[in-house]
Amino acid sequence: MVSPRGEVTPFASLFPVDEAHKAVKRVEEKIAEKQKEMDHLKEFIADNNSIINLVSKLPEELHHDIMVPFGKAAFFPGRLIHTNEFVVLLGEGYYAERTSKQTADILKRRGKALDSQVESLKANIKDLKAEASFFDTTASEAAEGLVEIREDYVDEDLGEEHFESAFQGKGESPGLNEKKHMVEEDDEYTRLMARLDELEREELAAENDDESIEDDPVANGALEDGNEQKEQSNTIESDTVNSEHFQNAISGDLLLYQTHSMQRKPQEQEKIEDVTAEALCNKYQSDLSLKDEQNRTGSTIQPLPKAENLSSKSSTHETKRHLHNEKASVLPEGKIEAMSSATQPVHMQSARPPSNSSKTEASQSGFDSSKAFTGSIVERSTDVLTAKSATLPPSDSQSKPSRPVSRFKMQRR
Amino acid sequence: MEKRQQEKIQKFEEFVDSRLKPDLVRAIGERDKVFEQQKIFVDLRRNIENLEKNSVTSLRTLVNLGSEVYVQADVPDTQRIFVDVGLGFHVEFTWSEALNFISLREEKIARQIEEYTLQIASIKTQIKLVYEGIRELMELPAEKPPPQRIF
Repeated sequence: MVSPRGEVTPFASLFPVDEAHKAVKRVEEKIAEKQKEMDHLKEFIADNNSIINLVSKLPEELHHDIMVPFGKAAFFPGRLIHTNEFVVLLGEGYYAERTSKQTADILKRRGKALDSQVESLKANIKDLKAEASFFDTTASEAAEGLVEIREDYVDEDLGEEHFESAFQGKGESPGLNEKKHMVEEDDEYTRLMARLDELEREELAAENDDESIEDDPVANGALEDGNEQKEQSNTIESDTVNSEHFQNAISGDLLLYQTHSMQRKPQEQEKIEDVTAEALCNKYQSDLSLKDEQNRTGSTIQPLPKAENLSSKSSTHETKRHLHNEKASVLPEGKIEAMSSATQPVHMQSARPPSNSSKTEASQSGFDSSKAFTGSIVERSTDVLTAKSATLPPSDSQSKPSRPVSRFKMQRR
Repeated sequence: MEKRQQEKIQKFEEFVDSRLKPDLVRAIGERDKVFEQQKIFVDLRRNIENLEKNSVTSLRTLVNLGSEVYVQADVPDTQRIFVDVGLGFHVEFTWSEALNFISLREEKIARQIEEYTLQIASIKTQIKLVYEGIRELMELPAEKPPPQRIF
């Protein structure tokens, strides 16, 4: 069911059209500058090549008749002699006498240095071009009146009331945070993710899930090719597998929480769970989540039933995180990603592919090691993206703790 | 009234920034080029005088091929010298002819430098003048109403 909490933001309010145009202009200026530099280098290379040619040809004759320059405005008729003796500047005012071959070698080495400079310049220009096209599409999309729709994913068939209440309580802060993030949004990424969602929706139509199509906070400026490719490959993957992976990763995560808390006394466990949820909700408590991670690594995996007990014990005031745990353990078919949308924006990215039937960790334990790894890769793609944008350090710190956990967990089984 | 003066001031400033200053920069650049020419010919004259003094008839020198690679070159006869007379033409001179030409050339270059210096001075004067005008425009109305001096 679609929750009424979705919000619609016109794209143009995030990226004013003329601002985007300005950005395009600026980047294009930079490109032109680099292009000039490149032309200069190319000239050097051409000069160098012609000199190599000349140097290797000079010794073919004993002497060459030339006009010998005498100052800048005068010449003497004369000839080149000793055509296999060259004096080459090594730098810093030091000269060396070389033969034609040795001189040609020196010049070739210089040419290589120039080539590498050209290469780096080319890469630079390519980056700038990508940036320019990004700004351009942003501008045109803003001009077209594209809107951004953002709503939280709610799972209807499991403890809906609980969920909703927890949701409303928690839903606010992430929303705010996301608004901040949206500024750096990458529309291309958004489109990709939207496509992903679409595919999954088709598949899950039978299940009648509702979905949250979230636009993700993504790297601001340069969209790296690598990321793009990674994401594309993700889309290519069959959706079911993909979402399963997500679930694997996530449910593994959850189980870890549970098992970890299982080993502790009830009160302590409650406390810890609160802490973890907080850490995950709160972008600035990375140290806390680190602590959790340490705990988790120490924990052993417990059979599912116990986890159920534990979760049932937990009081309602516990955070939504806990609710998710409950869900995951009690109902094998539960959709876990719902939790992510509410609590943490970053998780939302990774978990967004709405689940079809998610298997519980217990049932999956046989096959997951490889898949778990894929799952973590999927997470990492978002992770990398967030890391790319220097402006999103908090989400970065948040997503980091969650990734290692899931991977670790899966590999262990 | 105030508004018109503001507009005038802005116009003057625009004129200075977009016309006079680029002109000045260009003129200075041109003059530097002529200075370079002058240096070339002074060097050439000194070199030829050197050759004359030492009565050098043959010369061995290093020729720059580019990229700081040098090759030895031999000049069997230094009596004849080809001097650039402009527009890519080189004329074959003897030493005395060359010195003659160089002195003529130096004269012309000196005249050019003088011209450019005058031009630069006049542009600088114009800039000063416009600035003075702007100052007057700004100061006179400011003095008339003394109590309203807020800016």
